This record gives sequence, structure tokens and C-alpha cells, in this order.
Amino acid sequence: MTKPTQRIADLPAYLSHELRNALACIHQFGNILVDGLAGELTGEQREYVGIMLENAKKIRSVLDTALDGAPPASPNIQTKIERVSKLET
Amino acid sequence: MANKKILIVDDDRDVQQGMNLRLKANQYDTCLAGDAFSGVAEARRSEPDLILLDLGMPAGGGFLVMETLKMIPSLAVIPVIVVSARHGLANQKRALESGAKAFLQKPVDDNQLLAVIRQTLGEPARMKKPASRDQGVV
Repeated sequence: MTKPTQRIADLPAYLSHELRNALACIHQFGNILVDGLAGELTGEQREYVGIMLENAKKIRSVLDTALDGAPPASPNIQTKIERVSKLET
Repeated sequence: MANKKILIVDDDRDVQQGMNLRLKANQYDTCLAGDAFSGVAEARRSEPDLILLDLGMPAGGGFLVMETLKMIPSLAVIPVIVVSARHGLANQKRALESGAKAFLQKPVDDNQLLAVIRQTLGEPARMKKPASRDQGVV
């Protein structure tokens, strides 16, 4: 596999890894707040953190579908890289 | 009875801190390491009851940690739960074949993580706290 093709093939794994780690932090600390481990929240604060967590779940769902569910890159994909010159004005 | 000690090996400091808070709140003692090398060193030093292990880390990664632990008789018996952001069944299969007791993909539901820890440590299940809105998310 050529380098650009390899990069394309690695992209879903890279994105999944990076986004999942970030999502894990949102998820963990959101739940730490909701569970009162950093002090009790008011009803309004709890509601807002809840909204944040619900949306983190949606992102996860998108991630599961779009990246982890994505088929492996086809070996038939052709990438063509060309050097282009700047337009002269 | 003394608290069980859990070693968290993860190069993401925020993830490490989040797990640390959650485990301490559930009466576990914790120790931390941020890469494969210090993970093995910390396991030697603190002799934990269980290891939560990330896969993608500097200085060798989680699979190297598991291979190294297996070569040291006193550490080979420590159960390992892999908690990774890596995707796919291939990593899960490899982790379980390498000796992990379980594979959990990030972001992990706290209740599920605690349930797997308790099961691995042979502890009785506790009642779930109703506060979290993330129940059922794995």
C-alpha cells in the first residue's frame, strides 16, 4: 500500500481513537458532576450537565456508525497526488 | 477489610484522573502510570489487585505491558481489564487472547466498568446509584 493510501486506511482508526478519548473525558467528568462527586449540583446545573451527557451519547452513536462501522478501505482506491503551481496574479 | 488496589495505566491524564475519582468514590485505592514502561514498574512496586490498561500508549503500549507482566510470576496473576479507545473486534480479540479478563471500549459506562471490576475481583454486586444518566451506554 502506498503512503497516501495507507494514511486514508488509517484515518478511521485514528479519528476513532482521538475522538473516543476526548469523549471518554466528557462522559467521565459529566457523570462525576451528576453523581455529586465534586459537590452537589442545583437542579438547573444537573439538567445542563444532563443535556451535555445526552449529546455526548449522540456523538458516540455517530462515531460507532460512521467510523467503527465503516468498511475497511478498499485496496482498489487509487490516490493520485500532483504538484500544482500557484496561480500567478 | 482493606480496600482493593487498582492500577490505572493510561497516557491521557484527564482519563486517568476521571477513573481515579470514580474508583476512589467506590472505595478502591488507586495508583497511576502514564506509559507502558512505568505501568510495569508501578505494578512491581505497588502489587495491585487489578490493572486497568489502555492500549495506545508511549513506550510500548498495552500489549507490551501484558506480555511483560506474563513473564514475571508475581505479576502474571494480576487480572487486567483493557480500557481502550482503539476500535474494532481485532483489538478486543487480541486483548483477550493476550490474557485480559475483559475489553471495554471508551467511553465506558461507569456502572459497567465498576461491575466488570467487581466481577473480576470476585466482589458481590452493589446496588446501582440512580443518579447517572448514562446507564445502558456501553
